[in-house]
Amino acid sequence: MRLVVCLKAVPASTEVAMDPVTHTIVRDGGDAVWNPYDTAALEVALRLKDEARAAGQEGWVGVVSMGIPATASLLEDALSRGADEALLLSDRAFAGSDTIATCYALTLGIGRLCAEPDLILCGKMAVDGDTAQIGPMLAAALRLPVVTGATTVERHGAAVDVEQVFDGARRRLCMHGPGVVTVDKDAATLRMPSIEGVLAARRTSVPVATAADLGADLDRCGLAGSPTQVVSCFVPERASDAVAIEGTPAEQAATLAYLMGEVLA
Amino acid sequence: MAQPQARAAARAPELFPVDDGYTGNLRDESRTTGFAVTISFPTSEDDVRAVLAQLREQGCTAVTVQGARTGLAAGAVPFGGSVMDLSRMKRVTGLRQEGERFFVTVQPGVVLQDLRNALRQKRFATTGWSDESLAALAAFREAGPWFFPTDPTETSATIGGMVACNASGARSFRYGPVRPHVQALRVVLADGETLALSRGDVAAEGRVLTLVTEQGTTRTVPVPTYTMPHAKNASGYHAAPDMDAVDLFVGSDGTLGVVTEVELELLPSPAVTWGVNCFFGTEAEALAFVEDVRPSVPEAVAVEYFDADALDVLRAQRATGGAFATLPVIPEDWRFCVYVELAGPGEEAVADALGRVADAMVAAGSTPARTWVGRTDVDRECQRLFRHAVPESVNMLVDERRRTDRAITKLGSDMSVPNGRLLDVMGLYRRTLAEEGLQSAVWGHIGDNHLHVNVLPRTIEDYRRGKALFERWAEEVSAMGGAVSAEHGVGKLKRAFLIPMYGQEGVASMAATKRALDPDGLLGRGNLFDEALLGSEEV
Repeated sequence: MRLVVCLKAVPASTEVAMDPVTHTIVRDGGDAVWNPYDTAALEVALRLKDEARAAGQEGWVGVVSMGIPATASLLEDALSRGADEALLLSDRAFAGSDTIATCYALTLGIGRLCAEPDLILCGKMAVDGDTAQIGPMLAAALRLPVVTGATTVERHGAAVDVEQVFDGARRRLCMHGPGVVTVDKDAATLRMPSIEGVLAARRTSVPVATAADLGADLDRCGLAGSPTQVVSCFVPERASDAVAIEGTPAEQAATLAYLMGEVLA
Repeated sequence: MAQPQARAAARAPELFPVDDGYTGNLRDESRTTGFAVTISFPTSEDDVRAVLAQLREQGCTAVTVQGARTGLAAGAVPFGGSVMDLSRMKRVTGLRQEGERFFVTVQPGVVLQDLRNALRQKRFATTGWSDESLAALAAFREAGPWFFPTDPTETSATIGGMVACNASGARSFRYGPVRPHVQALRVVLADGETLALSRGDVAAEGRVLTLVTEQGTTRTVPVPTYTMPHAKNASGYHAAPDMDAVDLFVGSDGTLGVVTEVELELLPSPAVTWGVNCFFGTEAEALAFVEDVRPSVPEAVAVEYFDADALDVLRAQRATGGAFATLPVIPEDWRFCVYVELAGPGEEAVADALGRVADAMVAAGSTPARTWVGRTDVDRECQRLFRHAVPESVNMLVDERRRTDRAITKLGSDMSVPNGRLLDVMGLYRRTLAEEGLQSAVWGHIGDNHLHVNVLPRTIEDYRRGKALFERWAEEVSAMGGAVSAEHGVGKLKRAFLIPMYGQEGVASMAATKRALDPDGLLGRGNLFDEALLGSEEV
């Protein structure tokens, strides 16, 4: 089983700087961590790999990330936890990418890392952008099926069983690869590395691919390839104007309905 | 430290009846309950003096000073009289720079976690700070990260409480207990006179300390006659020829004076800190690893132990869900764990140390594949949770048993031995626990040869046998040159253990030290001494 995991570095702090011109997050090498949804996806991949190997089959996990050069240290961290190969997509040409340009770069990176992966795993969404678009977009670009927001992913012969949880319902799907699965944050807790893993990863140099290395069309990269333009960016004002509603449940419901009518009017 | 000033006679803060909603102040974390009539909440040194004056006038015979009541030896549990709760004395009162060194001055009620936060964020409430302090703060903000290293489990402990019991923590393996970090103290004596003591200013001549109060009275204080163990120690008064006066008050269990201000030396934070949980199949492997790591990995700041029984209790608790379910699964054949924390100036240095940890694991018979390395905040938080989950799981198990018999409670030892006696003391624990057929869980600061051996009684008879076993251990650990209390202090619960450690004569000499400063035995009554020792010169 050959698995590729897409990882995104996000600011470690909630206090981020915004570029006043592009209105995008300034990613200047300040403290960054893996997006927590992506770490769940990585752990899911590592478990599938372990199970495949335990069954005497091939198990391989590749990790790919688009980011600034400092992201290489986070990819080294992914290697220390059991990923077999890493690739960093890093180039000024990728700066300012929206989800379409990011997806384009990632498809090239995935192709460079593994010609025919059985499964591509992503986090359901990133905690900085909150779009949840990359997984489905990758699936569309690669013409693969996709399951989003998986809460469990289990190996089932050559296929995988994927479970989604909705309000009051669960859905279990059997996916025959190749395909894309996006993973919910609580699907798995990323394992800690062993000393062996840490020391081996430190001896590895994470390869970096530029747009030119990937043969990318520059018109589809970075700001140039991003139809989404952030026009402005602001911190919403906190407004608190709470009204305590009292009385019997019926009276409270009536008051609530009245107040909602006031607000909507 | 603040200079003495001519003070107007302060109005004493109110004394409240303990029964007026303060019965919580009759207990501490040791689960011991005491008794008292009144309670006060001073907010300044003047308040402390005024309360003491008022209580002396009323003929009060016992004053017990309290901080956050997180102690495990009942040192803050009152023994009659009045409680003096210092938790409202919680201001950071200044910073001082001396060359490349920084010192912070705090009132005794400052909570450790609050101090850590303030130091990390470099934010302080500076109202009332001197110009010198404000200048030091400006320099401190430019000086990179600094920290206060003592790290007891309870981060809600107060600095005053930590000074009273000479507290330690995991990182005491590298940084020692709180004692060496205490640079200066202000102390109110039982009669209301005050001492301002700075390390290096007043030393004993041989075994006699001459202290001059700020009011001009000279006190000649005999230093106890015993020899301190060459082991981590929080058992009774510090005593050594030519010792510094500051050291007499650190670890004195609230019996010599009321500490009203503490100056602590800060240390520059290491650039890189990683933790590694190393697992072993047998205790012999784990102990061999510890003996190897201590000399070969000087980057280690903490070396902690969790035995198979402790891990089994954690596994069972983890399986029930709750907060511990997020911890990684510990494979069944990973029986014993040694946690090593490494700190250094950069990743290269710490990675090199990690390699030596791996070598020591192989030499001991394990493999570096059986490890968890914490380099990120998320992983290090997971390791912290693991370390706290072990004692927490054991407490939950004992609480479950208490439902059938309220008299059952956990018995936890706090003894240490000198280097070279680790295998001997572990042999003692294992042999005697097996002889008595007692269930146990062992964890603690193995790098300092300091283990908390916890007896988990299933019946009241188990509890009694466990208590008797602790007395036997106190004798045997003392004979090995160890300490009967390494970090919790003696308080009221362990004072009987001082006899095998220092002998009757040694304990009597400690009482003589107390009488020189507190002739009526007012402060910390019930701590360290049997009542009989406080009354006369004779044993």
